Amino acid sequence: MGELTFEQAQVELEQIVERLEHGQASLDEALALWQRGEQLYALCRARLDDAQGKVEELARRVEEARPG
Amino acid sequence: MAKVEALPYDDKTVYSVGAFNRGVAQWLGRLPTVWVEGEVTELRRHSRWASVFLTLKDPTDGSCVGVTMPRGQFDGLRLDLVDGERVHVYGRPELFEKRGDFRLRALTIERFGIGAHLAALERLKAKLAAEGLFATDRKRRLPLLPRRIGLVTGNDAAAKRDVVETALARYPAARFTVVEVAVQGPVAAGQIAAAVRRLDADPEVDVIVLARGGGSFEDLLPFSDEGLVRAVADCPVPIVSAVGHEQDTPLCDLAADVRASTPTAAGRLVVPDLGDLLRRLDRSRAQLARGARRLLDRDVQKLDRLHERLERAPMLLVERKRARTEALAGKLATLSPKATLRRGYAIVRTDAGVVASRAALAPGAHVDVELAEGGFGARVEDVHG
Repeated sequence: MGELTFEQAQVELEQIVERLEHGQASLDEALALWQRGEQLYALCRARLDDAQGKVEELARRVEEARPG
Repeated sequence: MAKVEALPYDDKTVYSVGAFNRGVAQWLGRLPTVWVEGEVTELRRHSRWASVFLTLKDPTDGSCVGVTMPRGQFDGLRLDLVDGERVHVYGRPELFEKRGDFRLRALTIERFGIGAHLAALERLKAKLAAEGLFATDRKRRLPLLPRRIGLVTGNDAAAKRDVVETALARYPAARFTVVEVAVQGPVAAGQIAAAVRRLDADPEVDVIVLARGGGSFEDLLPFSDEGLVRAVADCPVPIVSAVGHEQDTPLCDLAADVRASTPTAAGRLVVPDLGDLLRRLDRSRAQLARGARRLLDRDVQKLDRLHERLERAPMLLVERKRARTEALAGKLATLSPKATLRRGYAIVRTDAGVVASRAALAPGAHVDVELAEGGFGARVEDVHG
């Protein structure tokens, strides 16, 4: 799971949601897919939060370095 | 006129050198008197000599012809000619027989006047324009930020100072390579063209400025010299021409990529304004941060929507399965025998199971009868065929 990139995780999450929404999965399968989906969501969320933190940090440093 | 006589030989006609020269001289003497235009070079006048000598040179292709004029006549013209001046010589071709030297014998010499200069300039301008040297599509844009600025200027300080100080005020890190040259007189055009080529050879020089303050019509003539104009047009590095004042238009202004009305204007053209540049850079940086945030926000929103769908999906799936189960239960109910019983039918069972044929019964046997609502026990009276 840690090896996945943000984009890979997002694509897999999309596929899981679509499978669940089409209702073709068995009940056991659906529960397993849901669990997997929640893991993927947590991974994407963490990556985005991390990126956002970096952007804000960089913006703050740029603001401080502004001459005058 | 001495007769040209051949030496007596049987099978050929042979002339002595003297006779040959004499013959050619006589032949030349029949040619008409004409005006010849050229530049004075190698003017030799000596008080002991009966004649003044000079070489007349064609500035466009370098062709030369010797000119002689009796010293008294020459002095009488009071021309005070110096090398490099352009003149019209009225004379006729002549052979100096003793040496076999061909030359132009001058009857009079006229200095090239402003009218002649103007006419010559117009001719040259038309010719170069026809070649496309001044065409707009040849003009290149100046670099935004030249690594080094080549400056060709006179050693008089004003033009140089105007360019350098204006550029430094706008962009303090501007760097110059200054080549000082004669900016008027006969050697100027050659020196300026050489300076342009020298600066062009420096790989750091990204733009070249020709700068000269105002001057008389004659002073600015070198900047219309054909060789210089061609050098400017051919130069691969963009050139800004800032020669003279607004109303002067030397031909090198037309051949340059950009014409500046004054050296100060040239200084403004070759470098950007640093303050302006920094403000633009700041704006770009702010846009960069905004762009990064916007991109992230989009991803966050997309993920949030996906997550909502993910959370809803399993419940929807269960609901759907439940609905299917209910539907099946409904179908099951319609298929069960209860509905038939309500119409008045009954199910008869013995210990052996449901009775579908008389073969399973005998009179006196006990049976259970099931109705739509409840049932009862019974004994069999008789059995029909």
